[in-house]
Amino acid sequence: MSERQRLGGGNAMMSVGLLMLASLVAITLFGTLIAPYNPSETSADSLAGPTAAHWLGTDSIGRDLLSRLIVGGRTTLLITFVAVTLAVCCGLVLGLFCGYVGGLADQVVMRILDVVFAFPVFLLAIAVVAALGPSVPNLILTIAIVYTPRLARVVRGPVLSVKRWDHVEAARSVGVSEFNIATRHVLPLIVSPVLVETSLTLAQTIFTITALSFLGLGPPPPDPNWGAMLSEARQFMELAPLAVIGPAAAIVFATLTFIVLANGLRERLDVASR
Amino acid sequence: MRRLVLIRLAWMLPILLGVSVVAFVLMRALPGDFAQASAGTTELAPEALNIIRRDMGLDRPVWEQYLRWLGKLLKGDFGDSFTTHKPVLGELLPRLAVTAELTLIAGLMAMAMGASSGLASARWRGRTDWLVRGINGLFLAVPNFVVATLIVLLAGLYFPEVGIFNYTPFLTDPLGNLGSMLLPAFSLALAVSVTISENTRAAVLEVSSQDFVMVARAKGLRPSTILWQYLVRNALTPIITVTGLQLASLLGGSILIETIFTIPGMGQYLFDAVSGRNYPVVQAIVLVAATIVLLVNVLVDVAYARVDARVSYE
Amino acid sequence: MATRINESTLADEATFIAAEGLQRRSLLRLAISGGTLATLGPLANAQSGSPKRGGTLVIGADADPIGLDPVTLTAYSSYDFTALLYTGLFRWNADMKVELDLAAGYIAPNETTYIIRLRQGVKFHNGQDFTAEDVKHTFDRILDPASASPSATLFSGIKAVTVIDPFTVKFELKAPSATFLSYLATNPNGVIVPRGVADLKTKPVGTGPFVFESYEPNQQFTLKANPNYYEDKQPYLNTVVFKFFKDQASISSALRSKAIDMTWFKDPKVSAQIVKSSPDLASAPGKTSRTFPVWMSMKAKPFNDVRVRRALSLATDRKACLQTVLGGSGKVGAMVPESQVGGYDGVGPMPYYKTDVVAAKKLLAQAGYANGIDLGDYIVVAANALDVQCAQVLQQQWAAAGIKVNIKPMETAPLIGLWLKGDFGLLSIALSWSPDPDAIVSRLLSTGSQGKGIGMADAPLDKLIEDARAILDNTKRAAAYQQIQKHIADQAYILQIYQYPLRWEAWRKYVKGYVPLAANIRTFVRTTWLDK
Repeated sequence: MSERQRLGGGNAMMSVGLLMLASLVAITLFGTLIAPYNPSETSADSLAGPTAAHWLGTDSIGRDLLSRLIVGGRTTLLITFVAVTLAVCCGLVLGLFCGYVGGLADQVVMRILDVVFAFPVFLLAIAVVAALGPSVPNLILTIAIVYTPRLARVVRGPVLSVKRWDHVEAARSVGVSEFNIATRHVLPLIVSPVLVETSLTLAQTIFTITALSFLGLGPPPPDPNWGAMLSEARQFMELAPLAVIGPAAAIVFATLTFIVLANGLRERLDVASR
Repeated sequence: MRRLVLIRLAWMLPILLGVSVVAFVLMRALPGDFAQASAGTTELAPEALNIIRRDMGLDRPVWEQYLRWLGKLLKGDFGDSFTTHKPVLGELLPRLAVTAELTLIAGLMAMAMGASSGLASARWRGRTDWLVRGINGLFLAVPNFVVATLIVLLAGLYFPEVGIFNYTPFLTDPLGNLGSMLLPAFSLALAVSVTISENTRAAVLEVSSQDFVMVARAKGLRPSTILWQYLVRNALTPIITVTGLQLASLLGGSILIETIFTIPGMGQYLFDAVSGRNYPVVQAIVLVAATIVLLVNVLVDVAYARVDARVSYE
Repeated sequence: MATRINESTLADEATFIAAEGLQRRSLLRLAISGGTLATLGPLANAQSGSPKRGGTLVIGADADPIGLDPVTLTAYSSYDFTALLYTGLFRWNADMKVELDLAAGYIAPNETTYIIRLRQGVKFHNGQDFTAEDVKHTFDRILDPASASPSATLFSGIKAVTVIDPFTVKFELKAPSATFLSYLATNPNGVIVPRGVADLKTKPVGTGPFVFESYEPNQQFTLKANPNYYEDKQPYLNTVVFKFFKDQASISSALRSKAIDMTWFKDPKVSAQIVKSSPDLASAPGKTSRTFPVWMSMKAKPFNDVRVRRALSLATDRKACLQTVLGGSGKVGAMVPESQVGGYDGVGPMPYYKTDVVAAKKLLAQAGYANGIDLGDYIVVAANALDVQCAQVLQQQWAAAGIKVNIKPMETAPLIGLWLKGDFGLLSIALSWSPDPDAIVSRLLSTGSQGKGIGMADAPLDKLIEDARAILDNTKRAAAYQQIQKHIADQAYILQIYQYPLRWEAWRKYVKGYVPLAANIRTFVRTTWLDK
């Protein structure tokens, strides 16, 4: 009975997650078209409340909040998607290499990755961005650098364990090529943890990017981004609470999307692997 | 197992060395140096800037500066802060204590919230279960600094007379100190409580479907006793693991929360030091943080290894 | 000295009412005294009402001091503290006029000599007597290259400092200078440090109204009243505590919850919001003391073409910037802020100040940029929210004239490096208050290192600036600076947008006797008292 509950729940979550993801992708691709105003257009009408002209009001120098939220989402999500894709690719390569080859090469690479690991994520991000300068390409690079080791580790684990399985040993002893073993036995095992880890990383990346922008290390103005908008709005909270709630809700929505996806994937794949 | 732990601990030294080198280089890669940062908007003639650099030993080649730093470190001297000219260790330890206190309180809160919601969810399935898991999902999706900002917003809108930025040191006023830590700790605790909640729920569910519960009941023992015993044995490991991981991401979460609630912890200290190019302070913090992270990683790996005996660590 | 009208009577009334509570008899007296107080209203905010002694004033600060030795400190954040710990030969009064402080009097036998008679019986915080030797020691230290003192450039015109007797000092200048007394009056540049005391950086010892008590970095800085302070009856407060906050949001909250009594804000919109929301908060309009400039490096194209620079000035709508960024709290600016000799009042005509996008486009076309122009990076100080905001507003305004710029916020330290060398295209850095207009306009001297860096080569302007330095008559001097500013605006060597106070101060109404200075240092805490 519990399994059926699980099945039903998993599917619902996946659907909801995919729907949310679709809306995020839409914003990333069509953001500038959907936004009602030019997000950089200033006016003297600062910190206005919601009106017919400005659905969510204006910010401290009179720019439309809704437009800034949409276009800000575009920037944030663009960085997120690209950076995580980069991290996954690098992580896959490194993890497969380490797990499969093993031995000294594995140890060396893992120790190097440990140095990166030892740096608190945030500190590393701050340092790299501060050194390279806060531009969009640099942020993508920073995120990729920070999250590759984690993904590599996730890949390496299953690869290491699979190598020792009896039927893999058996296949090897019969003469099946390493390549076939890799694709037939190892790869399928990696898919699920990597997918789950990717969604989690996406969620964490949203956090890292918005946190960096909150501290002033995000994409420079006038490009809007959620973290910076949230930070700016703190000074005028009582005058314009929407300026805080808007970005907060957006950040939560984006993070929620990837978490729901991760959960849905986990449920689906758990069931599938039974 | 023991061998594994020893090896990992032995590896810590070279890794920490590597970390310190990277930090050293990164700091000097940042544009502008301490002399310029301290001058601020006042202009100083280049000669004046050079005098400052000479006083701070910044005119020597980088590798020489590094070796000097390392030499002092081996004697237990972390150097003096560039801005206050006081020993870094003396400034770092109280701030570490503050951040640790914050994390500890957050951990306790998370355990309390998580354990109770997980228990409730497992005990009274159905609606409660859905509710708790739904709320958990939401908590997880709200980054801790967003929670903190929203808390400050609500407090400012509805309770403007209540001072939420009144940090007082513990030794001056223990109750006031704890009070000022409540809201920031809560912001940190929310996300952590989710994992604890999920783990507690899973552990309790597993227990209730075990046969030995029926056996124990037949023997006359109350199911709640067994529940607690089993929980203590099985759920504690993941709970501690998670809390441990939180300690490791100490600096990450704390910079933001400390900034928003103006708590003088390590996070703020670090951020100021990076902006002010206060090299000795940054080196010290990075070292301490990296040590914590590495230790926690070892603990986590040990815990995982116990769970999955099939994973081999060469 | 403010007029003392019936101060003792008022004090008696106050104590009587407080002690007796509201009974019928005192209700009557309350009505009478209420009437009296009302008519004294305007004065009540100034120095009237009998100052109550004692109490602790808690001030919210947004930055820690970096070093407390006035000879070597460079960080503006230290000024808050040195203003209370040290005093100089002269000081600024509430109307921004120079008045005597440690100097009891002076004579100037000729244009390059000042003989200053010192106050007697003054002691430093460590009990040491203040004499002429300390004055000589201070200026010897300042002018010694090994000190790397930022005040060295201000006092580079000093030829010699001689001790005539323990309470008389002679200053000889290389050339007549109208700036000398102003610089002496500036805290911390002109304050006196004790001889024979080392490590003033962490253990400051001065002649100021308050004595250093303790400092916990990032937490608080405590000062106690100086029992030997030479001004009669001052200071009234027992203790002054500075509490440090990381950002504006926490400062506002602290002020509203009465965790602090007084503070100042970087953003006038925030300040206005706070004061509006709390009936018992007062704020000062603030005299404008600084300007927001857009520097251009004219060594290369396109900025070496005066038509491009003028087009930029025409495309700028200064009034809109003032409205949008400052909420109107300030004035349109030129080179010299209004509070200085010869400062611009914000309304007089200035060449190329009248916004005209069509004319701007025409000028650009004449210069060969009929299809618009990309001016590259516009560098601003990332930490100054107002600067970043204004840059974005300007970017929009210029875009309407076909001028494209890329905003690049940068950390202060590297930005200053670029600015001083002239390694930029467009750069904005708002300067703090300067004691004399000469320091401001001298940056455009083609003989100065900065002027050279940005490619200045205007010999007639150089002469105007150097001459103005030596004019001792204030009216004539003001006219000279007006002329200089018009010339600068005409050639558009630098774009000045608006002028504004460094900070907007706000305090609880029970804080009395405080006067904010355009110099943006809180020296008037010495006359402050708490009415509670």
